[in-house]
Amino acid sequence: MGTFKTENPGNQPVWVNTDNCKACDICVSVCPSGVLGMRYEKHSTLGAMISIDHPEACIGCHECELSCPDFAIYVADNKEFKAAGLSFAKLTDESKARQEKVVANNYMSLDNK
Amino acid sequence: MAFNYDQYLRVEKMPTLWCWGCGDGVILKATIRAIKKMGWDLNDTCVISGIGCSGRFSSYIDCNTIHTTHGRTVAYATGVKLTNPKINVIVVAGDGDGLAIGGNHTIHGCRRNIDLNFILINNFIYGLTNSQTSPTTPRGMWTVTQKSGNIDPTFNACNLAIGAGASFVARESMLDPKKLEKILVKGFSHKGFSFMDIMSNCHINLGRKNKMANAMENLDWIDSITMPKKKYDALEESEKLNFFPTGVLREVEQEEYTEMYAKIIASHQGNGPKITQDDFAKKI
Amino acid sequence: MREIISTGNALSALAAAEAGAMFFAGYPITPSTEIMEHSSDYLPKRGGTCIQMEDEIAGISAAMGASMTGVKSFTASSGPGISLKAEQIGLAFIAEVPLVIINVMRGGPSTGLPTRVSQSDIGQAQYPTHGDYASITLCAGSLAECYTQTVRGFNLAETYMTPVFVLLDETIGHMHGKADLPDLADIQASIVTRERFEGSQEDYRPYDVPMNKPAVINPMFQGYKHHVTGLHHGPTGFPTEDAAQCEFNIERLTGKINTVHLENNGLDDLADYEEIDLDDADICIIAYGSIALGAYEAVKKLRAEGIKAGLFRPIMLWPSPINKLEEIGERFKDKIMVTELNMGQYSKEIERVIKRNDFTQLLKANGRPIAPAEMVAKVKEMM
Repeated sequence: MGTFKTENPGNQPVWVNTDNCKACDICVSVCPSGVLGMRYEKHSTLGAMISIDHPEACIGCHECELSCPDFAIYVADNKEFKAAGLSFAKLTDESKARQEKVVANNYMSLDNK
Repeated sequence: MAFNYDQYLRVEKMPTLWCWGCGDGVILKATIRAIKKMGWDLNDTCVISGIGCSGRFSSYIDCNTIHTTHGRTVAYATGVKLTNPKINVIVVAGDGDGLAIGGNHTIHGCRRNIDLNFILINNFIYGLTNSQTSPTTPRGMWTVTQKSGNIDPTFNACNLAIGAGASFVARESMLDPKKLEKILVKGFSHKGFSFMDIMSNCHINLGRKNKMANAMENLDWIDSITMPKKKYDALEESEKLNFFPTGVLREVEQEEYTEMYAKIIASHQGNGPKITQDDFAKKI
Repeated sequence: MREIISTGNALSALAAAEAGAMFFAGYPITPSTEIMEHSSDYLPKRGGTCIQMEDEIAGISAAMGASMTGVKSFTASSGPGISLKAEQIGLAFIAEVPLVIINVMRGGPSTGLPTRVSQSDIGQAQYPTHGDYASITLCAGSLAECYTQTVRGFNLAETYMTPVFVLLDETIGHMHGKADLPDLADIQASIVTRERFEGSQEDYRPYDVPMNKPAVINPMFQGYKHHVTGLHHGPTGFPTEDAAQCEFNIERLTGKINTVHLENNGLDDLADYEEIDLDDADICIIAYGSIALGAYEAVKKLRAEGIKAGLFRPIMLWPSPINKLEEIGERFKDKIMVTELNMGQYSKEIERVIKRNDFTQLLKANGRPIAPAEMVAKVKEMM
């Protein structure tokens, strides 16, 4: 049951703890950059699970982490990320457009089969 | 390499028992970030909650926690704070907890100005017991106890707190967790009774029968009835009717109760003068 | 021995302060208000706190909040106030919160007779709230006992981690006279403070105790963080609905007082009752509280007229002194007169224990005391 994984699993800008995700869609709805989507997961709450589809587009705004009620998604601390020689992406028209598509797709990942 | 919530949580109790998308979880996280900002030691912190979904708040933070009866949180907290004035006390109540059955205690907590941090988790319904009308449920909405539509007028919790004399009154929602964290920090820093009306979404109960069955729809509705105080003040009186101003609504310095009581102790021990009318600017 | 001239209420307040209470919260209600008034001086004099809250419920809630953090606390009220406090008393039972609740009884029910005496809260003291639990109830029968039984109330609360009722009544609460009290040094030597767990913080589980033992709840803010709740809980204090755990909880909560009382013939070393002239008596009067003051007189008067009367005075009403009552039932059979200021609330317990209902009752519930002459007349009727 619920263990927290605040350690970065490997230089990622954003990572999830699927033990805690209740598939509420909030993180997907607040991401400006089309990073996230819900994938089908029949054994999970509401039949869905958070999926990080485009980590390379993460701008480090932390909106997903702050809005997640369940400690299921984490974003790297900006200072520490930078100090490790890594950087977040910039917000582009492409990522904004992809986000709009995800929202229109009822927050479901565009990569779902 | 992310904010370490684990340090503040009873990790073995996760995931929370709140519904998917429930705003209470966001408020919990913001509270934890605020505790970190304040630099409080969890050993010197006490979280007291009542009955309701908000009542489960105290299970999750790894400090000294008390889960009391419905509506009495402020009264229990008064006993905790008076006997331990240096301890940081966070009081969590729901809208029913704090404004209905607990109304009297909330009012007197405001009046007394004892240094408590009062978080009213206002989700406009009785959630845990499944959708009964609360003192903040909007009129005309469907509830299980008013299936033909709620006719009960509503409380404006912050107006109540201001009327009762609270020295710090603020309102936020969990729509903007960063703003929420800031308000919590302000409230925690304030010496005196800090009344914080924090709006939360209950799409499972309030929302489902009132056309906002998912978290985002419920959040959009909260967005549509709140606006920052500055913008609100500029509205016409008639336009103000269906908006709640957010931000700090009142912040004054006022004698704090435990500090005043320390003077009472000194007086009874012969180490200080009696308190008289001259000690107060506002005497009546 | 200290000789003090005072009232029952003042002595009770003094006892609380000298027993180590550092917090009082309450609300004005006749005839108990003087306890709060005196405490508003006695407590801050000792660095403690006394606060008048906004209502009766807030009064007990604040006192319980203070006790939950490890501070000896009490509240005082009368019948209507105790009724209001019912729900919180239940929380004190299940969460095992030590608390002294002083009830200065007056005529009831409801507003009843605010300035007149009764003993009509005996049943309430046994079952003040919903659910299953065991009550400890002491009843002061003299000015001195207003003091000594209040001290005892604190010690029992701390030993058994439970709320304790200390019953006074309007007569004895407002009675002004001489009381011979134990020396302060003796009182202080007798003081009990709740047990503490001294192991590592990680190993601390407040409700992880064997059957019939009270929880070990450390003061807060000293490193042993824990959770207190009114829900059924497991060994760590967190809520549970587990069938086996809940069964264990209820058995332990009732057993830690009722079973222990029966097995050890009492909950502490102090007397649960007093016997006057019972050794050679032919008839036994049973009376408690301020009524017993009249019963002492009645026994003397009867003896002067050649009737060998004796008095049995319960002091700890709940749990009741079952063994002794059974003895009295066997010995005196129907030559027992129970006299109380209610419609037979303790008579019911006596009937239950001695399994007879042919004893005499001298009852009054109109706010007036029972005079020795009335008791004498009733006993004569029995002979």
